[in-house]
Amino acid sequence: MSLEILSEVARKATKLAVKKGADQAEATAFTFIEDLTRFANSQIHQNVATHKNGLRVRAVLKKKIGDIMVGAIDPSSVEKAVSDAIKIAEVSPQNELFKSLPEPKKYTVLKGTYDRKTATCDPNVRADNAKRAIQIAHDKASFVRAVAGSYMTGSAAFVVANSLGTHAAAQISLAQMAVTVISEKEGSEGHGYCSAYARNMKEINVDEIAGKAADKSVRSVRPTRLEPGEYEAILAPDAVALSLSYLSNGFLATWFQDGTSFVKYNLGKQVFHEKFNLKDDGRDLETLYVSPVDGEGVPKQALTLVKDGIVDEKGICYDSYTAGKEGKKSTGHAVVPFIEAFTPGPDLINMVMPPGDTSEEEMIKETRRGVYVSRFHYVRTVNQPRMILTGLTRDGTFLIENGEITKPILNLRFTDSFLDVYKGIQMIGRDQERQALATVPPLKVSRLRFTGVSEQ
Amino acid sequence: MNEDLARIALRTIQKLGASYADVRYVNVESENLHVKKGVAEEIRKRSLAGIGVRAIAKGAWGFAGTTVLKRTSIADLAKKAYKVACASARAKKADVKLSPTSPRKAKYLTPFRKDPFKISLQEKLDALKTAERIAAAESKELIKTSSSFFRAHRERKLFLSSEGADIDQKIVWCGGGVSATAIRNGDVQIRSYPASFRGNFNTAGYEFLESLDLAGHASETAREAIQLLSADKCPSTTTTLLIAGDQLALQVHESCGHPTELDRALGTEADYAGTSFLTTDKLGTFRYGSPKVDISADATTPGGLGTFGYDDEGVPAKNVPLIKKGVFVNYQSSRETAAFLNLPEGSSGGMRADSPLAMPIVRMTNINLLPGDWKVEELIRDTQEGILMLTNKSWSIDDRRLNFQFGTEAAWLIKNGSKERMIKQATYTGITHQFWGSCDAVSNDDWHMHGTPTCGKGVPGQVMYVGHGVSTARFRNVRVGIA
Repeated sequence: MSLEILSEVARKATKLAVKKGADQAEATAFTFIEDLTRFANSQIHQNVATHKNGLRVRAVLKKKIGDIMVGAIDPSSVEKAVSDAIKIAEVSPQNELFKSLPEPKKYTVLKGTYDRKTATCDPNVRADNAKRAIQIAHDKASFVRAVAGSYMTGSAAFVVANSLGTHAAAQISLAQMAVTVISEKEGSEGHGYCSAYARNMKEINVDEIAGKAADKSVRSVRPTRLEPGEYEAILAPDAVALSLSYLSNGFLATWFQDGTSFVKYNLGKQVFHEKFNLKDDGRDLETLYVSPVDGEGVPKQALTLVKDGIVDEKGICYDSYTAGKEGKKSTGHAVVPFIEAFTPGPDLINMVMPPGDTSEEEMIKETRRGVYVSRFHYVRTVNQPRMILTGLTRDGTFLIENGEITKPILNLRFTDSFLDVYKGIQMIGRDQERQALATVPPLKVSRLRFTGVSEQ
Repeated sequence: MNEDLARIALRTIQKLGASYADVRYVNVESENLHVKKGVAEEIRKRSLAGIGVRAIAKGAWGFAGTTVLKRTSIADLAKKAYKVACASARAKKADVKLSPTSPRKAKYLTPFRKDPFKISLQEKLDALKTAERIAAAESKELIKTSSSFFRAHRERKLFLSSEGADIDQKIVWCGGGVSATAIRNGDVQIRSYPASFRGNFNTAGYEFLESLDLAGHASETAREAIQLLSADKCPSTTTTLLIAGDQLALQVHESCGHPTELDRALGTEADYAGTSFLTTDKLGTFRYGSPKVDISADATTPGGLGTFGYDDEGVPAKNVPLIKKGVFVNYQSSRETAAFLNLPEGSSGGMRADSPLAMPIVRMTNINLLPGDWKVEELIRDTQEGILMLTNKSWSIDDRRLNFQFGTEAAWLIKNGSKERMIKQATYTGITHQFWGSCDAVSNDDWHMHGTPTCGKGVPGQVMYVGHGVSTARFRNVRVGIA
């Protein structure tokens, strides 16, 4: 699906909505291609090729808003979607909090975000990459029992137009690989995981991903029990990124306005360690879902969320609706339809934490008695204003003693305020990794409170 | 017209040489309404129609799905599914085998009285506004956010298979809820009715939302949120724990529903959600819980969010016991996984896809904890010292479904057989089989269906609607007050 076709659909739908009586109208035409080869037990077990088109129309009639999304962009579907959006608006109550759809703003196109070869990858290529990953993992050790994972290629594109003159487009290709390796020795399992996220499949290094996952897996067998308690911890980038995806809710205008954001109660305060810096930048090519504009066509720009450990109101991200409630302008964080969400409200999907100057090896050397966490699993927020999160470790948890990794340990449950955890940052790794929603380095923290142990 | 396209797709893939194929034409519609602080902030309608083709070729699976419903593109879709299956065969260890099922020609329609899509927007918004206004009115100073929700879902599915199945289903569900958030000095307390995260949902018509009487419960909901601001924090201790249905539903979901999925036990979800401690060697012998614990996967429960006529492999809805008097006796399965284990009864009928663009995977239907012998009041009277927890707030469980931790919106200290006072920030934790082993009583008078419309699983991720019939149950020696 070309951007030209999407552009035509968005423009036509907008015009039609105005013709049918809308004071303001917005149309977003989008397309996703997601081809994914999934493997488990060292063979391919699911293999899908999907193509989805869609159109979202927002029609505004005297502050009454009709919002509709359909999974088609053919002329009759477009016409029906527009008519339905108008009908919904007509019978909706006025929303006095709605100010306006965004005014048009100039933006610079991002180059090199779409690779045709990646977007149209042949299923045989994905299957061969899966097969190679399986082989590499099994070659690592005779006790590698099973290899699981997925290799995905595809693309996403959207064009958003509104009746005020906004007309903006974005397109990316996507390639992702994740490998989980399960080893088994004398009835004891060890798990290892590695993933890579890219916009070009050339950047997916199958050998490295499978090799790293297998290495962690074989080193994880026969884990011992570590008693719960507070320990120094080294968090690998995967764990850091997942914790940030929860922490970042505190920077959403929706949370801020509802009074559930930790930022609201800590304005101008140094809640994190002074080494902690975090931004969101949809134009930063080091992040995955790059886009020159947000889902409403507002240009993306860098937003500083945390500066030297301090949070303030300037770090709150807005779409046009939440911004309008406070008489502000959108920060360009309306959900980008690359990730299918289309849920109301702003979102942060391009977070970047700058790298530090230490290697993971140096972090381990500086740890007297601590825990190396490869990944977090099933993280949930227990207390919003204090950002108490709970979750578990997964796929490679190790005990560090006197500067060395000494043994694998059973997965641990943590329950802790991540305001406190990141207040205790001691070291920041020099090697950033791109995860789905954040590009981050590993971190060493002075303490993380583990509250339970899992079983094998 | 679109039905014709589905038939063309099936004919095409059969001609290509697939040893098995099925085609689903699915049209999903949804409506979401959200009234917040007096404003109808969300009035959204969504629809998606498409065709998914699943095929076995060269002994391996392939799937292709599209929303482009044109005669010219449907043959290409079938060809793509076939090509993807052939690609899968490049990394297969054994040919896919399916357990037998009789191909049916059938129709199914969710029983309902009032089509939720035909009730006027005005009527639905009025009901939500009334409930939200009542909640807000409890305290202008302390209730900082009050919300009410409605969601309706309608799905038409045509399933055709190369074995001759031709099944047409229309599934309708809806529901909603009301919530109030009280805030004082940075202390945030939320209460929700009839359940958190936008309420409760049943396969039913608009009469289900009416039966919830959101307006009638809004005041108490907000009052409890305010009371929690002055409540003590849940103590950190080990105690007797009573869990009400609006929390126990998720406990059943996470610690019984997911680990009894056979695809997890066989390792095919290892790369994402994880595996299961209920390994196949435990089937039929493992003591999962106390003799008071009976759990079934029942796709026939009236009103259940996981109630349907046939699953997405054309297997008729079944009621399958998973845990019988505490013993693990069955898995939730698909035709492929049932064949792999040689399960004599075949698939449990739990293969479901969340859209025409998704390949079906083993999903929960209605995972029900069967009612026990107690009345709720008897349970409380019989408890000398303990805590009653209500309404889920947070949930987390490990990748083998053993170590869990849940938080609830509210809790009551129980002393000498009566509810003494409310406490806040309640959490509890445990290991699945030890926890269910400590269950000594299950009530029967408050047993009803709870709907979970947001169960995530699979890669690419799918979100499924499932149900849980539960009541209040009691557990001994549970660790509480972790956060």
